[in-house]
Amino acid sequence: MKKEEATYWIALAHLPRWGYSKINNLIIKFFHENKLSVDEFFQLTVANWKEQYQLDERQISDLLQAKSELASNAFLAESFFSQGYEIIPITSPEYSKTLKANLKTTHAPAVLYVKGNKKILEEKSIAIVGSRDASEPALKFTDNIAKLASKEFKVVVSGFAKGVDKQALDSAIHYNGQSIIVLPQGIMTFSSGFKNYYKQIISGDVLVLSTFFPQAPWKAELAMARNPIIYGLSNEIYVAESAEKGGTWSGVVDGLRKGRKIFVRKPEPNEKNANNILIQKGAIAVDSAGLELPVNLIEKETKQISIVQESPGYESLEEKIRSACNRKPISAKELLIKLNLTWSTQKLNSYIKKLNFIEVVKENNITLYKLKHTTSTTQTTLFL
Amino acid sequence: MTRQEAEVILQDTFKLPNFYTEQWQTIEKVLKGEKVLLIEKTGFGKSLCFQFPAIIFNGTTVIFSPLIALMRDQVKKLTALGIAAKCINSEQTPEENKQILSEAKQGKIKILYVAPERQENTDWIEATQQINLSMVVIDEAHCISVWGHDFRPAFKRMINLVQLLPKGLPVLATTATATKRVELDVAQQIGSGISTIRGNLMRNNFKLFVIKVTTEDEKFIWLGENITKLPGTGILYAGTRVDTEIYSRWFENLQISSTFYNAGLDTESRIEIENGLINSKWKCIISTNALGMGIDKPDIRFIIHTQIPQSPIHYYQEIGRAGRDGQPANIILFYNPEDKKLPQAFIESARPSLKKYEKVIHAIKSELLGEKDLMKQTNLKQNQIRIIKADLIEQGIVREIMNEQNKKIEYIPNSKPLNTKTFEDLRNAKLADLDSMIAYAETNGSRMEFLCDYLGDKTKYTFNNCDNTGEKKLTVSVKPEWKEKLQHFREDYFPELKVEAKGSNIVNGVAASYYGVSNVGAALHRSKYEQGCNFPDFLLSLTAKAFRKKFGHETFDFMLYIPSTSSGDLVKNFAVKLSQVVKVPINHTLIKVRPTKEQKVFENMYLKTDNVKGAFGFTNPAIIQGKTILLIDDIFDSGATIKEVGRLLTKFGAIKIVPVVIAKTVGGDIV
Repeated sequence: MKKEEATYWIALAHLPRWGYSKINNLIIKFFHENKLSVDEFFQLTVANWKEQYQLDERQISDLLQAKSELASNAFLAESFFSQGYEIIPITSPEYSKTLKANLKTTHAPAVLYVKGNKKILEEKSIAIVGSRDASEPALKFTDNIAKLASKEFKVVVSGFAKGVDKQALDSAIHYNGQSIIVLPQGIMTFSSGFKNYYKQIISGDVLVLSTFFPQAPWKAELAMARNPIIYGLSNEIYVAESAEKGGTWSGVVDGLRKGRKIFVRKPEPNEKNANNILIQKGAIAVDSAGLELPVNLIEKETKQISIVQESPGYESLEEKIRSACNRKPISAKELLIKLNLTWSTQKLNSYIKKLNFIEVVKENNITLYKLKHTTSTTQTTLFL
Repeated sequence: MTRQEAEVILQDTFKLPNFYTEQWQTIEKVLKGEKVLLIEKTGFGKSLCFQFPAIIFNGTTVIFSPLIALMRDQVKKLTALGIAAKCINSEQTPEENKQILSEAKQGKIKILYVAPERQENTDWIEATQQINLSMVVIDEAHCISVWGHDFRPAFKRMINLVQLLPKGLPVLATTATATKRVELDVAQQIGSGISTIRGNLMRNNFKLFVIKVTTEDEKFIWLGENITKLPGTGILYAGTRVDTEIYSRWFENLQISSTFYNAGLDTESRIEIENGLINSKWKCIISTNALGMGIDKPDIRFIIHTQIPQSPIHYYQEIGRAGRDGQPANIILFYNPEDKKLPQAFIESARPSLKKYEKVIHAIKSELLGEKDLMKQTNLKQNQIRIIKADLIEQGIVREIMNEQNKKIEYIPNSKPLNTKTFEDLRNAKLADLDSMIAYAETNGSRMEFLCDYLGDKTKYTFNNCDNTGEKKLTVSVKPEWKEKLQHFREDYFPELKVEAKGSNIVNGVAASYYGVSNVGAALHRSKYEQGCNFPDFLLSLTAKAFRKKFGHETFDFMLYIPSTSSGDLVKNFAVKLSQVVKVPINHTLIKVRPTKEQKVFENMYLKTDNVKGAFGFTNPAIIQGKTILLIDDIFDSGATIKEVGRLLTKFGAIKIVPVVIAKTVGGDIV
């Protein structure tokens, strides 16, 4: 990113009530389709915005408001940069590819605010999540997983809350591993953290990351909104302990719904937590060392097995479908052959309809699939 | 807006008839949202180039200026014209500043002056989020460039800010003094399509003189004899803070109305002197170069330098303040070839040793430190820490951040190693500048032409305004009675010890001499570190004289002396003798309760203060209650020891403590 773009990115990323999806679609349009930089986009006339970008009155008034605040943003951005923070827009090669792949246009934030070693974003990563008042076994489990991850050069992603989060971070540091701290607040309000983790940040072992407005103070909503970012930044997710409600719970349930592979610590019989319920819902049970446990036949449901089975190839499967649909519309049957899958056509049909980059077309009463906006390759570059 | 339309507004609001060509050129660009670097001499009317557009624009214009005096001055003038202008600065209370910010947020302020350092302030950054900003102005823009005469690190952030501003937001950078090199550097740093407008630098109302002398005394004598003969009021620039004080006492001695000004004075005194300057309260203000930049007094009639400045650009900047009304002004430079030693030493010692840089980098790598912590950890002087810090920031090795309301210095991972070649280049450039300054003093040609050439103004004029081109040469002839007057003054001049502080009953004391300025320092050094014999008697009589002059009329209950660290009983023996001479009884009960190190091993105030904190006590504190006490020591450097004992005595009930020492060091730590 050119430095001059910073103020524009800040303006764009925090358009009020737009949501990630709308913002990302706009970015796809100006950046990939029209090859404009963000500042060039802001220089366009209202007529351009209306005609070329099909923006409605309210959106245009939001953009004009954002534009009028650019000078003010410049003061903020100067202060921001002088403190050593950086902005990574979603169009940047430095933006976490894992995050993009996991969250896609609908949930990926337009910018990441970071301080520390950005290269960490390129490493394989795991998240360790769990409650703020975690039990001893949960903390021990967290320590084990962090140790293992550090040994395997995987980055530990955590949310800087008490309990499991803090343990995950401290253990990763203890075992000389690398960490990403995902903040529940704006990055400029994290002074004490930068003081306490100064050495680790300097030595390149810790990256602090926030997706919120840089000056936003801690809020419960932000803490909730941060959870998907933690999951999104991670290749694997480990749950040390979850209650049946709260941040961890809703994060895991959300993750399972999105088809993520989530490992949950199998609790001891006397423990009071919701780990077992998550396992029943499709999470993978692991022991205190993080080793996968054989699937307990009593708890097994076919639905869960299917999730577990398809998960390993999940990431690449999506990509395979994407490339298979890249040319002309294709039927489910053809797809099965092409992808060498042993699924039923029905299963593939229901799977494929959930993919947001696929469009359904009917030809002679046969359902065919093709990539949305096949005229451009925008999504593949932006969300690969 | 056409020029005619604009001039109607100009006449109406600013009560000025019309724009100069270059003013309108600039304003036209600014109104179109362009970026402009404007280089015009002092008195040209640069400020109109942003003040005028500021009242045309809807929102607020922010002006970054390093000079509080200038801000105050301009705000006063704009307010008188009915334009909503305010300034935010460190000399106002936080409440005042807060109030102004809230007015700015409500859109009530057209023109807002702030110092570049304000970017470090979180309240300010928060306020800018709600200010409708129309334009940004960087005044004294030469401070951006390390090749200029007054590089200021805080201006680096101005460059960053300007680069982040949205396209179409006008930016105006102004300066009165920029060589071609500085001009190009500033323009390149601001970047993105900036255009430069440069005016001519000729000041034909100046009369430029160089007075060649061979001793310091000749300067004192010429000034004593002639300064009252110069028309009007003016400024005398001296080389050091100590010199400002000595010249001021000399004039006082001759009953010439004067006062001295330097950065060591408190805000209140400085404001008072600035106002006095405007109102021509004194014939002459003796100052370091801390005074005058940006002060809009039209009728400064003379500017005299007792010491050659570091470069012609420093000189042009400083004399630029004279004769802004276009009436004649006398510009006089004393020149003794020996004088180059001071600026030379200054340039040579501008940078601490590499080892000190390494020490700082090492400390910063292991911990997030503030300036004070860093001084304590590295035992470096504050000014050295600041130079090192500025260089390391400049080279991208560290950055200064705000952490929990405190400034801290942070190491930048993977930064390049320290590049000392830049230091060499800068040093060589500065030495070359100094050579040019000497060339100015020694030239037989037109002095004004010399300055214009140096600054890159190649316009050709008839130059006939100096002592080489028609004006009469000024020379010094020393008459015996003046020699005597000066001799008498010197023997009767004793430096003051500034130690007064809230919560302590210690008062400002007196030293018999400066340490390095006379033979006193050498005598002390011999006794303390070479021969170990008692201080020679001439020090005793000199100290007694200083005491009598300042405190002879007061009565003291007894005398105490600072117990020694390592030089045996030197101070004690000296105090015993002094006690007999000045007839104040001596008391030996002030003792060290723990060992201390010699103060001189500590380079800065913090460590000196720590070294003596709680180090003293009394065998019988009861005798202190209600007493007036004379406190004796040999050398006064930072004053940390004297102040510590002063606090202790106050605690035990002393009602007045008067410190008297043999010598005061010059240029101790600046804390």
